Amino acid sequence: MSSNIFNSRRFLLLCRQHFVHNNKLLGFSAGAYVGVVFILLSFVQASEGLRPHDLDNFRGFLIGFVIVFGLLYVGYSFPAFRSKESTMNYLLVPASLAEKFVFELVTRIGLMLLALPLLFWITFNLQGYFFTLFTEFSFDPIGIQQLVAVEMPNGIDSVGWFSTMITGLALLLFVVPFTGAAIFSKQPLVKTLFSVAVIVIFYSTVIYLVAEPLGLNQYHPDPEEGMWLVPTSERAAFRFFALAVIIANAVMLFVAYRKLKEREV
Amino acid sequence: MIDIKKLNFNYGNKRRPLFRELDCQINAGSIVGLLGKNGAGKTTLLKLMIGLLFPDGGTVNVNNYEPGKRQPSFLEDMFFVSEEFYLPGISIANFIKANADFYPRFDGALLQRLLKDFELPETESLQKLSYGQKKKFLICFALSTKCRLLVLDEPTNGLDIPSKAIFRRILAGALDEDQLVIISTHQVKDVENLIDRIIMLDSGKFIMQKDLFDISAKLHFSTGSTAEGDDILYSEMVPGGYKVITPQVNGGSSVDIELLFNAILNGNEKLKSYVQ
Repeated sequence: MSSNIFNSRRFLLLCRQHFVHNNKLLGFSAGAYVGVVFILLSFVQASEGLRPHDLDNFRGFLIGFVIVFGLLYVGYSFPAFRSKESTMNYLLVPASLAEKFVFELVTRIGLMLLALPLLFWITFNLQGYFFTLFTEFSFDPIGIQQLVAVEMPNGIDSVGWFSTMITGLALLLFVVPFTGAAIFSKQPLVKTLFSVAVIVIFYSTVIYLVAEPLGLNQYHPDPEEGMWLVPTSERAAFRFFALAVIIANAVMLFVAYRKLKEREV
Repeated sequence: MIDIKKLNFNYGNKRRPLFRELDCQINAGSIVGLLGKNGAGKTTLLKLMIGLLFPDGGTVNVNNYEPGKRQPSFLEDMFFVSEEFYLPGISIANFIKANADFYPRFDGALLQRLLKDFELPETESLQKLSYGQKKKFLICFALSTKCRLLVLDEPTNGLDIPSKAIFRRILAGALDEDQLVIISTHQVKDVENLIDRIIMLDSGKFIMQKDLFDISAKLHFSTGSTAEGDDILYSEMVPGGYKVITPQVNGGSSVDIELLFNAILNGNEKLKSYVQ
């Protein structure tokens, strides 16, 4: 008798089911992404006197495209939840909750973070070579290592906590819409963005009211003792925010898991 | 197989409870008809049995599993054909390839035979099929999984007349001894000669749970020109006379489920002692 928690055979069956059911959609989506990237890169190049894109352009566009298209893709995680009928099918697929959750997390965030940069890199180079066919400029191809090349800002003495914080923030950017898609059935991305905006505005207002009209910013604690949980050095600040972001990711994923578990239809 | 004890359920806290202290026990090896008026809670009860809804109180036990936990070993031995369903836009062959292996007892040869009976082409895309054809495919797939629990919600809705006959034939012929089929339907005529046991639901309560064999041993269903007589328990006017229910005296009548259903829903007191 196989485990009711996690079984690799069932997980592979779930993968196969997903790719057999959605192969056309995935193909068309990848095609649309490549097409949009190619067209936008071409427009920008044409508007800059046909001068080929360089490494700085590559980095800027890479981040922009992965964020925009990644949000669109992750924001529609748990696609079965968009209708009552497909939700029933999904919940009754003979796979465990953990298998379904891990599968969704891996395909929606993990594979997306691999596929979108890779497709962008291919399209960027193809587009660059394509323009050399009818311009006098030469194109310097961008190596695949640039997809993972990270440049640390100067003067940071706590690289570990800093990079943890940035990685955590980047993950949180996608984990939040992932959780939103588990909570909201219809228009999950729009509702998630709206909810985030409401929460941010609410907390900003509260902090403003506490700091300005109530005068908290006038309070100066003893610099020797500091305040509980309030970091007093750059390293402590990075550690504090890195831990906060890790906890935020964990909480959001836990909420998504519970939503999947408690789903009724 | 299915053991429901003191089941309570309601949709949201403000509404009145749909089910209160419901008890039911169903054994394997039979085809059960779940009957009830619109809104009686048939589909809700089915969903509670398969874990799509969670009870507010009491217990639901199916094959020694708690359905609400949705454990794979429970799900791989249960198949639900809902009234409204979703099928992906792929061919029948690809659907089988993607889903059959989830069910350990899946019988591919049986599926081929059933598809042939229903004249469904394997290469056809599921999206191009009509509603009735899609339903036929789902019924074929459900039967081929050989799951010990098959739950069919309005399975004959959308099926044409020949397909209904084929449905009855294949359902009767494709089941094993250890399987239980629960059919929820309004169209009792479609499943009249199929079901072994009737469960009637009204206002959140079971008003009858009885084997057809027991009913036919106690009640006689016939058509006559008059509805008068001391022994008539219930009658209904039909073109050309009356359908009547009388106490069984010498055996030998098949159960008219529709008539029985109407009789019980009309609160016929005389019948209660026979069917309780």
